[in-house]
Amino acid sequence: MVVQIDKPPAHEKSKQVHSSVTEKLTDPGWAWSAYQPDAQRPWTLAQAGHLYRRAAFGATWDQLQQALSDGPQRTLDKLLRPQADIAAFNRAYDEYSSGTGSADGLRAWWLRRMILTPHPLLEKMTLFWHSHFATNITKVKSARMTRQYIQLLRSQALNSFRAMLKGISCDPAMLIWLGAEANRKARPNENFARTLMESFTLGPGNYKEKDVQEAARAFTGWFVLRSKLRYIPREHDGNIKQILGQKGNFTGDDVIRIVLEQHATAETLVRKLYRRLICETQEPNAKLISPLAKSFAKDYDILKLAEKMLRSNLFFSAAAYRRRIKSPVEFALGIVKPLEAVISTTQLAQDLADLGQNLYEPPTVKGWTGGRHWINSSTMVGRHNLALALLQGSAPYGDKLNPWTVAKKHGCSTSESATGFLLDLFVQGDLEPDVRDNLLKPAGAPVDAGGDDSAGTVRRFAHVVVTLPEFNLA
Amino acid sequence: MDYTRRDFLKSALGASTLLSFAPATPNFLVRSAMAASSRRKERDTVLVVVQLSGGNDGLNTLVPYDDDEYGRNRPTLRLPTKELHKINSVLGFHPRMKAFARLYKQGHLSIIQGVGYPNSDRSHDGAMRIWHTADPGHPNRQTGWLGRAVDSVWNPNETNTRAVFVGPIVQPFGLNAENVIVPSIRSLGDLATGQMPGVPKGHSQSKRTSELPRTDKKNQLLDFLRHCKTNAYANSRRIEAVIKASASTAEYPSFQLAESFRTVAQLIRADVGIRIFFTEFGGGGIGGFDNHANQLGNHCALLHQLSESVAAFVDDLKRDKLLDRVLLMTFSEFGRTVKENGRRGTGHGAGAPVFLAGGKLKGGLIGPRPSLTDLDNGAPKFHTDFRRVYATVLDRWLGFESRTVLDKQYKPLDVLNV
Repeated sequence: MVVQIDKPPAHEKSKQVHSSVTEKLTDPGWAWSAYQPDAQRPWTLAQAGHLYRRAAFGATWDQLQQALSDGPQRTLDKLLRPQADIAAFNRAYDEYSSGTGSADGLRAWWLRRMILTPHPLLEKMTLFWHSHFATNITKVKSARMTRQYIQLLRSQALNSFRAMLKGISCDPAMLIWLGAEANRKARPNENFARTLMESFTLGPGNYKEKDVQEAARAFTGWFVLRSKLRYIPREHDGNIKQILGQKGNFTGDDVIRIVLEQHATAETLVRKLYRRLICETQEPNAKLISPLAKSFAKDYDILKLAEKMLRSNLFFSAAAYRRRIKSPVEFALGIVKPLEAVISTTQLAQDLADLGQNLYEPPTVKGWTGGRHWINSSTMVGRHNLALALLQGSAPYGDKLNPWTVAKKHGCSTSESATGFLLDLFVQGDLEPDVRDNLLKPAGAPVDAGGDDSAGTVRRFAHVVVTLPEFNLA
Repeated sequence: MDYTRRDFLKSALGASTLLSFAPATPNFLVRSAMAASSRRKERDTVLVVVQLSGGNDGLNTLVPYDDDEYGRNRPTLRLPTKELHKINSVLGFHPRMKAFARLYKQGHLSIIQGVGYPNSDRSHDGAMRIWHTADPGHPNRQTGWLGRAVDSVWNPNETNTRAVFVGPIVQPFGLNAENVIVPSIRSLGDLATGQMPGVPKGHSQSKRTSELPRTDKKNQLLDFLRHCKTNAYANSRRIEAVIKASASTAEYPSFQLAESFRTVAQLIRADVGIRIFFTEFGGGGIGGFDNHANQLGNHCALLHQLSESVAAFVDDLKRDKLLDRVLLMTFSEFGRTVKENGRRGTGHGAGAPVFLAGGKLKGGLIGPRPSLTDLDNGAPKFHTDFRRVYATVLDRWLGFESRTVLDKQYKPLDVLNV
């Protein structure tokens, strides 16, 4: 059942197969074709785990087993377009407003939603856009506006980038955060226009200072007054502007249309999503990105783009497998989800802040940089201690997460069998043989502290597994 | 020079260090375990920044007792000349700052007078933001100067945490970095790995996993995480060793600030590669040093705590021969008005003194004493831009490039013996 995909078997013939796959990865036609398992690239538990780490926040044992029998493409059907009544779930969560009147309440509520949602990819993408369109609640100073902003992101997270960008340009939380609440004709505010071009769309080097100034004029007339967006026609500069080579009597909507017409916008976004969904260790070359960027530029359909990436040969290749570092949210939910319980997300939100990912408070307008920056010796100790708090069965998280109970539910009867089960559950057993042996060897394997303490033994082993470097990879 | 510390670490870590696995250990892990000694070749100086929140009254901290304007403007707040700890014929420390006066005489304390910036901002948030961003013209600046400093020296092979906030309040914006995660801690335990109940002795999880040193040529990220984990757990063991070895040796007064300094000293002793510590005194928000009414008593208590806590810190480090590696620097968002306000308090001011403490100071007073008659809106004017102080500690002390952090080169001050 446990097949390791990251490691070609030792004999020569397989090595050749492996390298020919590597060559094919640079061919965009092959790289972006839907993955169909074959003898060289079988559908394995490791692949299923990989998919659930990227397109969700981890998987339960049943989800992994179901994925194994469904195969990759059918599993993706479910992850991309779940059968469950998502609308009802989202409505229930959107309408629940008590407890979301504060930043802490909002954080706890969103984390709970991430754990329980029937559509985890939607929450994952909402989090992605929260980092892309970063705002910070300490400056916005309103839970209500922040909630409205996140709902905007969620409503378009897997939908239209065009609609999301349009919404962001009118979003009070965003405008307050950027210091763009007042856009007078006499004093055009460049903050939004600049961020729009630098961070939201084109990226540095693809526009000139003059474009920012002219675009700022197009956005004049828009104000945030008493937390609401207002348009004051006499404050709009109705004169001709020249933006990115186009000339006209432009408004804010025109600016958004113009930046979306630039190839650089589609390419920048495709690269950013590539980094999130596929691989953060290597910048993809232009040839690989080009077909996706071309297609994305036509309709800015995010679901279509994400689908193309997630279904691809490239996604299921060694070039993507464990080629990202889990964010703190992914790390924590990667422990919670497989153990099939809900924990206090108020506490969790605080602990995630200590690890560097305080929801609604990304460090700058550029969101969380992530990657290797998530990790330093103190965040590594922090991850160890968060895992400990989650798994130890006492305060502050209580005994909601019990790996022994989960192991028994799925057929384990001894702590020895539970250890193998947990390795499969958390890292799909995909460890190099000596690492695995070292974990399981008598000196290293969990020792019963005396008496029948299987639950404690299994807890301790689960902690060892989730503090493995391998578990920190997404 | 640091014989004591290395000796101490050797015995504290004993046979459990990674080095004992050296023969079977790939090179990069040996390197990381040897980090402490390889750091000897790099600079290992430490900066400790102390934020005095609320706007400290510089004139009642270092008192110009010989200036008639002082007494004239402060009918109820003037401090009795005979109780001051005089450092020259004009200036004396507040009566409760005996320890500062001692440090000054020992050459472990310097005073930079009249530090500020043009067009002083008189609101707490605005002024504090300026000291944090080091960018008075751009209130929207997204990063703090120390955050940028840490980002500027980041490299993917260095996994030690470079900066830490020690204290019970929300992390001050000065540490806000675009890329690097800067931890906030309340106590040393926050940087040490906890243990699952019931783990038998000798089966420490951190020990077990560090016995798996290996490289993965195919996946550099995995390599990086293995390296980092090994280093993190080794750092954790150093910290645990320091906690055990010196639990109650050094004497600190029982103030919150002193506790923070004790934690900082322990982390310096543990030698885990942290170069910047940030601590706060006064409560973070409004309050603390912000004395608009009945200033005398409250200010007196604060200055006493500051003085005693810094002195305990300096003495502790000196005893362990660590003081030469440490530079402490205070700052406050502004000074206060010369004239008291009719409620036995003072208003928000402009320039104020910055205090430096450490083992490598030239000592003495730096810069002229600001006039009490030629004022900026009722408050002493600044003559030394605060970014010159920042440039000094970045360039001359930490060996970072201040130009990257401050966007241009400010002239460092000649205050250090380095």
